[in-house]
Amino acid sequence: MNDPKSRPDSDLDALFALARTHRPDTSAAEFAFETRLQARLRALEEAGPIWAMVSWRLIPFFAACVVALTIWHSEIVSDTHHEERMAYVQNLDYVESIGTFNL
Amino acid sequence: MPHHQDDRADLTLLGYTNAMVSTISSPPDEQLVEAALAGDHGAFAELTSRHKSRVFGVAARFAQNGAELEDICQDVFIQAYFKLRQYRRDSPFEHWLLRITTHKCYDYLRKRQRIGAHVSTDSMLESGYEPAAPEPAAPHPHLERLYAALAQLSPKERLVITLLELEERSVMEIAELTGWSPANVKVRAFRARASLRKLMEKR
Repeated sequence: MNDPKSRPDSDLDALFALARTHRPDTSAAEFAFETRLQARLRALEEAGPIWAMVSWRLIPFFAACVVALTIWHSEIVSDTHHEERMAYVQNLDYVESIGTFNL
Repeated sequence: MPHHQDDRADLTLLGYTNAMVSTISSPPDEQLVEAALAGDHGAFAELTSRHKSRVFGVAARFAQNGAELEDICQDVFIQAYFKLRQYRRDSPFEHWLLRITTHKCYDYLRKRQRIGAHVSTDSMLESGYEPAAPEPAAPHPHLERLYAALAQLSPKERLVITLLELEERSVMEIAELTGWSPANVKVRAFRARASLRKLMEKR
């Protein structure tokens, strides 16, 4: 106790001991708590099932899926377009060669 | 539950007091949980009524005012209601409920820190704010200093020091309530105490 370094800690311990004896009185706040809670639970249940609320949290996941699908789709489309262009060019060469032959 | 009423009448006839009768005849928590899961709202109301004092007692150590205290406690019981199926019967219902309470209190501390709603008591009183319910009672001037210093700690520090020193929970209990390791609890408690000491010395 005479050690000055231990003094702040003993002060702190004394304060904690004092705080433990002064518990906040919550009796007024507790009054009719069950009724208020039941009313809120009823309102939550009437608002919709819990999965409806949870589904909002899944929005980032679904958004990521949409972006991934869009990228995948655009790659497929560009590949298809490339193949179509190649087929068109080949077809054009063939038509031109026929035209030259006829002349 | 008519058979409970019959039991109650029998016990009263045997000379038991009303308090003793209600202790003996009230069903255990696990039975009430089963009934609540089966859709009995009365059973959940009974569980609420049985454990609300404990939840309010812990939450009052962290709540800034009466409105926040009510919000925390409602959130605790709402989560308990919707996650009742997740309650495993390996520990008492009260432990499970206090774990939810601890997490909710921590969430509120973090939310308060995030919003930066660190409004001093003086400025609240100047703006005409009146607490709706009992504030953490500070009839002693030194306690006001302690509560003001506690309010300046980080959420983790405040949580651990409150549970350890004001709620007199053991390190193992805090580890169970928070989900931190016991070593982590000890380190955080040590740092919290050091921070609190510094804050108290400043004042």
